[in-house]
Amino acid sequence: MVDVREDILARLLEVVAAIPNLRSSHRSNVDINETQLPAVVVLDGDEETNDSTDLSMRPANRPTIVQLTPGIMIVDQGELVGSALSVLRSELIKRVLTDTELNEQIVKTGRFGNGAIRYLGCQTDLGWARELHGALAMQFLFKYALRPEQL
Amino acid sequence: MIDYSALLYDPIYDVLGVPATLTVGATEVALTVVDDLKPKVEASGGLQTRGVEPGAFARMPELSALGVAINDCIGAVLAFNGRSWTVRNFDLRGNPNGEDAGEVRFLLKEAAVG
Repeated sequence: MVDVREDILARLLEVVAAIPNLRSSHRSNVDINETQLPAVVVLDGDEETNDSTDLSMRPANRPTIVQLTPGIMIVDQGELVGSALSVLRSELIKRVLTDTELNEQIVKTGRFGNGAIRYLGCQTDLGWARELHGALAMQFLFKYALRPEQL
Repeated sequence: MIDYSALLYDPIYDVLGVPATLTVGATEVALTVVDDLKPKVEASGGLQTRGVEPGAFARMPELSALGVAINDCIGAVLAFNGRSWTVRNFDLRGNPNGEDAGEVRFLLKEAAVG
């Protein structure tokens, strides 16, 4: 059984959890505490295909291309939260886009296949709690081949 | 007219108030505050982070009697209940006796961080 979607999300968590100076990392936990900051949360993402425009005689179980767009939240608090988030953002982008296992074994980018990984962008959110609180929501796109017969 | 300080605030501060020191620049004064730390949830992109919003109430007449101008309090250090906080902002809570006879709620942040 090969579920590329789950493999991507599971590897993403491993990649972000290895970022230095994090206090916690989570998968789809949307209720955390300030004592766990700085934290990174990998949120299960939406998927899209272009198959609604393909009503040909192609068998339903043939491979198709999927675009998975998981979100990653970075959360921290402190007087210098802006620069702290920037450091974590840089580490996260670098590690996701250059991770060998994600690129070569799971998504199969470049010469390994027709997959792709792209950084789409991020949004920031600030507020006050015990200290200045900041969150950075990042989006990545993972293009991969979904093979129903391997699921 | 009801005297809010004598009939409302003073009895409450006698029971719930705690001793505090407010350091404004080089000046340190002793006053009574009511600890008002509240739970705070920061929501971002579907993610909730639970924390607290530290705050403390003080009486404007007491600050005036101590010679403290409220406008000088941002950046001051307020110590009470065993912790030191920095005043990052404040809300004035006036009453029918007027703004100067009301309360101020100091919005605090961790002093150790800056």
